[in-house]
Amino acid sequence: MTLIATIDAGACAAHGDCEAIAPEIFAIDDVAVVVGTGPDELMLAAAQACPSVAIVVTDADGRRVYP
Amino acid sequence: MSDGTVIAGGGLAAQRCAETLRRAGYEGRVRMVCGETHAPYDRPPLSKAVLATTGAEDDLGLRPASWYTDHAVELLLGTRAAALDCTRHVVTLADGRALGYEQLLIATGSRPRRLGLLDGFANVHTLRTLEDARALRAALAGGGRLVIVGAGFIGQEVAAAAAKAGVDTTIVDAADAPLAALLGPAVGTWFADLHRSEGVDVILGATVAAATGAGCVGRLTLSDGRRLACDHVLVGVGVDPDVAWLAGSGLDPAVVRVGAEGHTGAPGVFAAGDATGTGHWESAARQGMVAARAMLGVGSSRPAAASFWSDLYDTRVHYLGDAPCADAATIDGDPAQRDFSVTFTRAGAPVAVLLVGRSHDLPNARALLAA
Repeated sequence: MTLIATIDAGACAAHGDCEAIAPEIFAIDDVAVVVGTGPDELMLAAAQACPSVAIVVTDADGRRVYP
Repeated sequence: MSDGTVIAGGGLAAQRCAETLRRAGYEGRVRMVCGETHAPYDRPPLSKAVLATTGAEDDLGLRPASWYTDHAVELLLGTRAAALDCTRHVVTLADGRALGYEQLLIATGSRPRRLGLLDGFANVHTLRTLEDARALRAALAGGGRLVIVGAGFIGQEVAAAAAKAGVDTTIVDAADAPLAALLGPAVGTWFADLHRSEGVDVILGATVAAATGAGCVGRLTLSDGRRLACDHVLVGVGVDPDVAWLAGSGLDPAVVRVGAEGHTGAPGVFAAGDATGTGHWESAARQGMVAARAMLGVGSSRPAAASFWSDLYDTRVHYLGDAPCADAATIDGDPAQRDFSVTFTRAGAPVAVLLVGRSHDLPNARALLAA
């Protein structure tokens, strides 16, 4: 749980793939929002599944891990 | 008036509308008239993975079958909307059923443009549906010579897939460079060179002037006099909204015009996706969601710049913004290595970005365009 996910609300088209993969981390409202934490691998898998590449994952030092 | 929401169409915009309604707690009936015999599925892979392997069909569904029962979304498969009566609030289907609606989403998508010269030949393909992709895959499995008419993204993706499968492939386009109208001649030429470096022949500034063959077209004559022998032809010259069924409804049966929230002006009638002439995956998804929210009286956040992506020879290409309005373009990186970005500017301000092999730059590109 060292990685941090942020959502580019302008890029998110609410596809819902992140919520399907990691519901403990992401939920869809108007756009996706981060609602909790979870394993790094799950967070990364959800980010990589985003068709809009709207989830940016950084490490604890602020370095971008994905995309 | 009753019977909830009818969604005419079963593509991405339709799916996103249904999802958004249920997510927001909408309890009315939701019926989706899918047209095809499949539940809503993802089209972008049709010109990519699905052409390569039958296995790629397994993950095409936008949601598992259980989603539709869990969310009480009724799928009407294998029939399509045939007529609309905006006054009586009734959609009549091709099979004769009449569906009353309180709210209607027109999301019947688009259909590929055809070339009259090539109509009626059994080996001339277009690519829009899963059946189209299956037919093209089966044809290409036998090898032979493929001529692709049109160097848009569909044509280019099929060229990449066909070349990879060992099919002798030629692209023909009327412009002097692929995508020149969108990205300008310099970037367009990069796409032509990309295909040529993969063994695909690219013929530019030419159109199909004649086609000959019995049953199947065996030879194309181009406007420059060149003759191309072919075993298969793919026509990829764009799409038109599939909304002819709206004739007589009072709405435009060529393209449905909508306001920012997807409303058509007819009471309770909204539209989204290709039916409105927008024509991209991202915008279809967004419009389906926005229309659903408007049906419920909820606003939506302002949409981001238009964007889409393509996969060509294992290189991912992203495009954001509005390049045709640009007056200058700057290339950063190494086009020869398929690793570069193009920033399009107008009067010095960024208006569009093309990323080749640089998905990691997407957040920066979006920030640049939003600034």
